[in-house]
Amino acid sequence: MNRLIILLIGVLATTSVFAQGPPIFTETPILLGLDGGGMRTFGRFIVKENATVYVQPLAIPYNLGSKTQIGIAGRFKNINLNNFESVSGFGDLTFFLKQQLYQKDGKGKTIRIIAKLDQVFPTGKTSSMPSIGSDSWQSQLSLVTGYVTLKYGIYGQVGYNLTSNGLPDNLIYNAAFVYPLLPQKYPPNQLNLNIGINGKFFTDVNSNTILASGGIQWITSKTDLFEAGIQIPIVEEVPKAQKTNYVLTFGTRVLIF
Amino acid sequence: MKIVLKTGIITLLTFATFLLSTTNVNAQTKSETDKTYIKLEVDGLSCPFCAYGLEKKLKQAGSKDVLIQLEEGEATMSVPKDQQPTEEKLRKIVKDAGFTPKEITFSTTPFKMKKDEK
Repeated sequence: MNRLIILLIGVLATTSVFAQGPPIFTETPILLGLDGGGMRTFGRFIVKENATVYVQPLAIPYNLGSKTQIGIAGRFKNINLNNFESVSGFGDLTFFLKQQLYQKDGKGKTIRIIAKLDQVFPTGKTSSMPSIGSDSWQSQLSLVTGYVTLKYGIYGQVGYNLTSNGLPDNLIYNAAFVYPLLPQKYPPNQLNLNIGINGKFFTDVNSNTILASGGIQWITSKTDLFEAGIQIPIVEEVPKAQKTNYVLTFGTRVLIF
Repeated sequence: MKIVLKTGIITLLTFATFLLSTTNVNAQTKSETDKTYIKLEVDGLSCPFCAYGLEKKLKQAGSKDVLIQLEEGEATMSVPKDQQPTEEKLRKIVKDAGFTPKEITFSTTPFKMKKDEK
């Protein structure tokens, strides 16, 4: 059961770590601009019944062309179990690869589909209790699709996460809707509203978790973006003591390439 | 005597001003005719935050004044005549930036922008 607790914390901590552009909590098939060469970091507070977890990830992508992207993501994590002392350290490292499979462009709109592979290396600290790292090799393959116009964006992601070392495999399903609150122009000065859901179904234990999410993004220039969001569980099939109250996220993305 | 001097100075100043303005007009006309103006219709320009790559790549092609208009799905730019890129090269630049090139127009005069017409 301890392993499951660690995994559930890990799952919430890593959701959307690797999303490189709008929307906030779901992956995007766009590999351009801030979605292509943008370094991303954000602080994430996961407030649970029995613990408060703070995660500070840093993801750096690099485009090998207009259709292929590689990248690496690491994270610093602090877990503060209620009534116990807190533990902190560097979590697992993740390598990711995105390959565009389909692109159909029109005037002011585009449909794109990519395949994404995330490979988690269990480099995180495991000597503490609870453990900072997952101690598990994980490979996640997913399909990400998006229909983006100047008026709105619709995004979806479906994937499967294969785990090792006794952790349950899980199916992921995310969806998001992004609506610009200001007229779209270039250079950008954008305010975007994000809403969506982020789901995980743990196939080995038949347990489901769905978070409803909302957030706001401010794109101040060609190279900088600030964002904040909240996630609230609407389905969470875990013991009561491990339930999540809410997840708060504050972050920034800066174009470096 | 004073009146003659005054009239002479005014005449000289007027003449000098005329000469300078003519030279400026000539210089401006010469600089404009030395340029090629290019308009690219680009499909897939659906988000302001992802258009930066296109601007960067078009600037690498020798232009300093790339203007992207999202609503029109257009990019306009000018380059010195002797550095004018081929249509083929421009199409490759747009594709490499992740978008789909449509019609590309070359002109010896600047293009009228929609916002200029309003």
